Amino acid sequence: MSGMPLLEVEDLHVTFRTASGPVHAVDGVSFTMKPGSSLGVVGESGSGKSVTARALLRLFAITDDVQISGAVHFDGQDLLRIDERRLRDVRGGQIGMIFQDPLTSLNPLMAVGEQIAESLRLHRGMSRSEAAAEAVELLARVGIADPEQRATELPSSFSGGMRQRVMISLAIACRPRLLIADEPTTALDVTVQAEILLLLDELRRSEGMALMLITHDFGVVAATCDDVQVMYAGKLVEKASMAHLFDRANHPYTEGLLRLVPRFEDAHTGRLHPIPGQPPITGGGGSSCAFAPRCSYAVDRCRSEVPPEVAVGPQHLSACWLATDRAKDNTEAGQPWRRAQ
Amino acid sequence: MSVLEVDDVVVEFDTDAGRITAVDGVSLHLATGETLGLVGESGCGKSTLARAIMQLVPMQRGSVRLEGTDLGSLSRRELRRMRHRIQMVFQDPRGSLDPRMNVSTLIGEPLRVHGIGDRASRAKAVAEAMELVGLPVAVADRLPSELSGGQQQRVGIARAIVTDPAVLVCDEPVSALDVSIQAQIINVLDELRDELDLAMLFIAHDLSVVRHLSDRVAVMYLGQIVETGTASEVFGEPRHPYTHGLISSVPRADAESAARLQTARRMVLGELPSLLDPPSGCRYRTRCPYATAQCAEAEPPPEPVGRAGGLHMVRCHHWRTIVSAAPEPQESATSQELAI
Ligand SMILES: Nc1ncnc2c1ncn2[C@@H]1O[C@H](COP(=O)(O)OP(=O)(O)OP(=O)(O)O)[C@@H](O)[C@H]1O
Ligand SMILES: Nc1ncnc2c1ncn2[C@@H]1O[C@H](COP(=O)(O)OP(=O)(O)O)[C@@H](O)[C@H]1O
Ligand code: SF4
Ligand code: SF4
Ligand SMILES: [Mg+2]
Ligand SMILES: [Mg+2]
Repeated sequence: MSGMPLLEVEDLHVTFRTASGPVHAVDGVSFTMKPGSSLGVVGESGSGKSVTARALLRLFAITDDVQISGAVHFDGQDLLRIDERRLRDVRGGQIGMIFQDPLTSLNPLMAVGEQIAESLRLHRGMSRSEAAAEAVELLARVGIADPEQRATELPSSFSGGMRQRVMISLAIACRPRLLIADEPTTALDVTVQAEILLLLDELRRSEGMALMLITHDFGVVAATCDDVQVMYAGKLVEKASMAHLFDRANHPYTEGLLRLVPRFEDAHTGRLHPIPGQPPITGGGGSSCAFAPRCSYAVDRCRSEVPPEVAVGPQHLSACWLATDRAKDNTEAGQPWRRAQ
Repeated sequence: MSVLEVDDVVVEFDTDAGRITAVDGVSLHLATGETLGLVGESGCGKSTLARAIMQLVPMQRGSVRLEGTDLGSLSRRELRRMRHRIQMVFQDPRGSLDPRMNVSTLIGEPLRVHGIGDRASRAKAVAEAMELVGLPVAVADRLPSELSGGQQQRVGIARAIVTDPAVLVCDEPVSALDVSIQAQIINVLDELRDELDLAMLFIAHDLSVVRHLSDRVAVMYLGQIVETGTASEVFGEPRHPYTHGLISSVPRADAESAARLQTARRMVLGELPSLLDPPSGCRYRTRCPYATAQCAEAEPPPEPVGRAGGLHMVRCHHWRTIVSAAPEPQESATSQELAI
C-alpha cells in the first residue's frame, strides 16, 4: 500500500456563479499526496488555496452557487461522487480540517471537552464515558495544561493559541489520515505560531498522517513541509520539494513571491519588490498565462496560449513558457530572486 | 535632537478582574528621519503605549514631549493645536475610514479639523499627499468601499501625513494586508520617511518587516521595554532571552527552519502570564530557561550593553553570562552552548 497515493486530485475545477459573472476559483488542479507526506500550498489572497481545500470535502455554503468537476480519489473512493452521508464520515473522520479563525469553527456555547467527545462518539462510536476520557487525553496531547479542568471550559476562556490547539485536538480526534490546515497560524503571535507548527509536525510524524498546509508564508512551509506548490489564479504554477525550491525556484510568480517579503536575515537592503498589479478577481479560465499582465518576463506567446506544466527537475514542475530556459539559467547563474536582493 | 521624548510612562486600566498596568515605566526617544520599531507579543502593551503617546489614554505617570513641548501640560485646546504634528496610522484601514466620505474629503479632513490653510491650499495638500502615497487622481471621488485594501491603507497614510507631522505612529499598519500589498505599503512608508524626514514609531508583530524598516528596535514584554538598541544590535546580537526567543520563532524560508523552531520553544516556554498577576522580579522569569532565585526577587534594572555611550540596553540579571548566540543558521546554537 505504501507506494499508493493517499490523495489524488485530478483536473479539479471549481466555478462560482456570482452576480458579476463566473469566478473560476480553481482551474484545473491536479496533485497527489502520499501517506504521511507534508505539502505546503502558497499564493496570494484569492489565488484559490482555500477553495481547493474546501472542494476536496465539498465544504461550501448552501448559498454558494458552485460547480465542481474533476476527481478527488481518497482511500479508494472519489469524494466528489460519494453521497453526502459517506462524505460526512470522511469529514472530521479520515480527513481533519483546521481553519485560520478557531473561534468561528468552535461552538461557543459548548465546553471544549464535550465538543471533542461528540466527534469521537460520532466518528469512532465511543461510549459517553470513553469519549470524555479520550477528549481529556487529546487535550493533553496537544499541550494543554490541566486538561481535565480545561475540558469543562468554554472556548471563550482560551487564548488564541490555546483555541488553535483545541481545534487541532478536534481535527486529530478521529486519527485522520490527512489533516488540512488552512492558515492555522496567521492570526497568532510568532511565538505561538512556532509552537503550533512544531505541534503539527510532531503529530504528523507520530500519527503518520499527511499534512496539507495552506499559507502565504514560505517560512511556514519551510518549517513544516517537505513539498510545496504555488497557486495563482486557480492553477498550480509550480510544484517542487521545499529544499529544491530554495535554490531553484523556477516560475516567475514564485520568484516574485520570494522577493516580495523582507527576509529576516537581511538588514535594510533598499526597497522591497512588490509584484505589480493584482491577481485577476475572476480567477482562471482564460486562454493565456494568467500571470502575464504582471510578469516582467512575458513574451507574446504568454498572452495567447496557456503554458503547460513542464518538468524542470526531479519532482519539479513549472507552468511557464520559459520554464526550460529559466531552469538552465538557474543552474548557471544562481537564483534570480537571491541575486536581486 | 529628539522630536519625541517619552519618559517613564505608566498606563493603568481598571478591568472587571482588577487593576492592570498595561504600560509600566516606558522611556524612548525618536529623532527626525529615524524609525523605531516596537515588537512584542499581543497584549504586551504596544497599542496602549502608542495611544498614550497620542494622548488618547490617560497616563498615571511620566511625560511625552513633542518637539520640546510636554503634551501632558497642555490644555485641550493647546493640545488640539499640537496634534497635527503627531499623527497615527492604524491596522484596520477600512474600519478607520468614514464609509460615507470620498477619498479627497477623507484626506482633507484633518486639515479642516485643525483649521489649517484655506480651501485652495488644502486641495493642493490633498493632491500632494495622494501623490506621495501613490494614489491615482482617478480614485479621489471614490468611497472607501470602492477601494482595495492597499488603497484604503494608502488613504489612511495620506490622512496622517497631510498635516505635515513631525512624528508618525504606525500601529500594525500592514498586518491586515495581503503579502504583495504589504510590500507596497512598506515601500510607501520607507519613501515617506526619507522624503518628509519623519520620525516614525513602527509597531508590528512581523519581525522581518520591523528589521527591514527600523533604525532602532525596542522589545516589549508585559508593559516594559526589555531590550533596545540598533536593529542590528537587537536582532543580530540579542542579549535578552526573550528577544532571542522571538527571533528564533520567525519561520524563515531556509533549510534550518525546523531546527530554529526547536530553539524557540526552549527560549519562550509556555504562555504570557496575566497582567492581573505579573510575576515578581523579572517578568520574564516564568518563561525563561535561565531564571534563578535572584530573578524572582529583584527586578532587573536597564543596563547598557557593549561600548559606553551606545544605545544597546537590556533588562536581565544574567545577560553577561548568557552567551549571545545570534540565532543565525550557521551557528544555530544547541542547548549546551546556550546553557550557562
Ligand atoms: N463563495 C464564493 N462565491 C464566489 N466566489 C468565491 C467564493 N469563495 C471564494 N470565491 C472566490 O474564489 C477565489 C479563490 O478564493 P480562495 O478563498 O480560495 O482564495 P485563497 O487563496 O484561499 O485566498 P486567501 O489567502 O485570502 O485565503 C477568489 O477570487 C474568491 O473571491
Ligand atoms: N481600554 C482598556 N481597558 C482595559 N484594558 C485594556 C484597555 N486597552 C488595553 N487593555 C489591556 O492592556 C494590555 C495591553 O494591550 P495592548 O496595548 O492593546 O497590547 P498590544 O497592542 O501590545 O497587543 C492588554 O492586557 C489589554 O487587554
Ligand atoms: S508563461 Fe509567460 S507570462 Fe506566464 S509566467 Fe511564464 S513568462 Fe511569465
Ligand atoms: S532576569 Fe532572569 S528570568 Fe529575567 S530574562 Fe534574565 S535570566 Fe531570565
Ligand atoms: Mg484562504
Ligand atoms: Mg495592538
